[in-house]
Amino acid sequence: MSRLLQGLGVSRGIAIGPAHIIERDRLDIPEYYVPEKQQDSEARRLVNAVGQAKRQLRAVRKHISESTSADIVSFIDAHLLMLDDAALTQEPLRMIRQDGYNAEWALQLQRDALVNVFEEMDDTYLRTRKDDIDHVVDRIQRILLKRKPRRHEEPDSRLRGYILIAGDLSPADTALMQHHGIVAFVTEYGGPTSHTAILARSLAIPAVVGLREAGRLVREEEMMIVDGHAGEILVDPDERSLQHHWRRQQEDKKYYASLIRLKEAPTRTRDGAEVRLQANIELPSDFDTVREVGAVGVGLYRTEFLYMNRESPPAEQEHYDTYLRVLEAMDGLPLTIRTLDLGADKQISGQHAVTPANPALGLRAVRLCLKEPALFRPQLRAILRASAHGEVRLMLPMLSSIQETAQALALIEELKEELSGQGQDFNRNLPVGGMIEVPAAAICADTFADRLDFLSIGTNDLIQYTMAIDRANDQVNYLYEPLHPAVLHLIRITLTAGERARIPVSLCGEMAGDSKFTRLLLGLGLREFSVHPTYLLEVKQIIMESDISELTRLADAALQASSGAEVEAILAQHDAI
Amino acid sequence: MQRKSIPVVNRLGLHARAAACLVQSAMDFESDIEIGAGDKVANGKSIMSLMMLAAARGATLELTIRGPDEEQAMQSLEALILNRFGESE
Repeated sequence: MSRLLQGLGVSRGIAIGPAHIIERDRLDIPEYYVPEKQQDSEARRLVNAVGQAKRQLRAVRKHISESTSADIVSFIDAHLLMLDDAALTQEPLRMIRQDGYNAEWALQLQRDALVNVFEEMDDTYLRTRKDDIDHVVDRIQRILLKRKPRRHEEPDSRLRGYILIAGDLSPADTALMQHHGIVAFVTEYGGPTSHTAILARSLAIPAVVGLREAGRLVREEEMMIVDGHAGEILVDPDERSLQHHWRRQQEDKKYYASLIRLKEAPTRTRDGAEVRLQANIELPSDFDTVREVGAVGVGLYRTEFLYMNRESPPAEQEHYDTYLRVLEAMDGLPLTIRTLDLGADKQISGQHAVTPANPALGLRAVRLCLKEPALFRPQLRAILRASAHGEVRLMLPMLSSIQETAQALALIEELKEELSGQGQDFNRNLPVGGMIEVPAAAICADTFADRLDFLSIGTNDLIQYTMAIDRANDQVNYLYEPLHPAVLHLIRITLTAGERARIPVSLCGEMAGDSKFTRLLLGLGLREFSVHPTYLLEVKQIIMESDISELTRLADAALQASSGAEVEAILAQHDAI
Repeated sequence: MQRKSIPVVNRLGLHARAAACLVQSAMDFESDIEIGAGDKVANGKSIMSLMMLAAARGATLELTIRGPDEEQAMQSLEALILNRFGESE
């Protein structure tokens, strides 16, 4: 019987394939007495299992080392050394030989003893390193219990063509999986900006997140269809649905492949209006795509990833090194670095973790940064220093008041003085811009335009705050309406403010990359889009087929509409959606 | 015998990766390497025992090295620890 499940679509496309569920089961550790004459062979069983664990891990290391971040490789190295370490097995071997414990139980007791020591440590970071012990012990236990190792952790896992289902994916999981030829991700947790979502967009494969209980509702190897646009998964589909989706998939493929011919063409409407098409980037895997699709710059470089999956924020030098690498990879393209946009659906662990009841309205983004200079200053200094090496722009997220803006600008000036004093190079005229994603800032866009060098409209948050809905809350997210006239008015006001102050205004939210909104945005006056590189050529094609004069009338009509549905009807009537 | 006190200066302390670095270096030498912190003593060639020292930034490591290549061993381990195990901070 086919079943339709609904989640949140965060990366477009259709995938068809069997399911592979990443299990999170806890192993049941057996406890029994081993009679004296079998104790030696029981001890050998443990030694052999450790040896096999080492061979598995070496194979993983060999397989991933070329293209994976040094961080993950060094974790694997540490785990290999732990397997080599007598401190892990000495005591369990004694327990087996002297007291007749079975291998699994002896190893588990040793694990508990080691973990206890870690749990008593004062240092938060060191304390969480008990995870390393758990990873290593888990691998040995699986071998002892003759359980298959978790498949996605193996080098030749034969997961090509599979749809992966997990609670949530860790960066280590995803690094291991990039090479496996997975065709889609489905996770139980996470939002549009979760690690899974970003990686999926970067790999250009569909993803559906926030599908609670997915791991229970789907069986291993069960055939399924993932529609990353609708956020739907169809489990055990009948022949007709399979055919239908297969055709859609083929058409999509043909269409996207045909777009590459547009790469070199100037982005210009039929009536000659020039449009700047920039890219949003986040992961190193995005860099290649940026050049492949011919983006003229990076309109949004998200830096949250520098802060995630770690216990303490990155230091200035790490920021700086990372930015230089990105500048180099972008090969002279202008790079807009957005300062930390932390909070709401993006949390870091460690001392700055905050989980208030209403995080979207809480201490996040520039608010958090201004309150925690220790978090903000190293990043600002690093961006300034990076500006000596290329065309860098600095972008502040989520401005809501002009005081906040002044405070951030003053801090940047102060750091410039500091850097001068230290003889450090930087661009004195580093352009500083702000994101307009709070309705208050959009309505007063004029005052922001007077003080900043550029503006960028972040529609994801702008829509959420305008409609007063939490996008991650499935009881109200039906109200998430990009076409609501209120949203369109706020975009128009911001664009007009930019024109008046003669500063560039771009739009970098999901709306910019969704080709069904392209014509309307052009009509509203937008001439600078920043989109995920995967969607760039699709948007470009629409732009090249458009006539601004027609679209201006269309946008004016949309602004007069009384509802999102009415706007949609107007667009449909003009074949513009 | 060589003996020296060296402070932990990297930000994250003697965590798994730093300990791994230290062990990998220690293994290059024949000498016995003992590393103490607080009231605990670890074998410099055992990653587990090093991690168990719970040496955070600011802790002092007491290195005791005995063997044919003790001088080189001391030099190279001291450099490694003071260079923050190759981490940026």
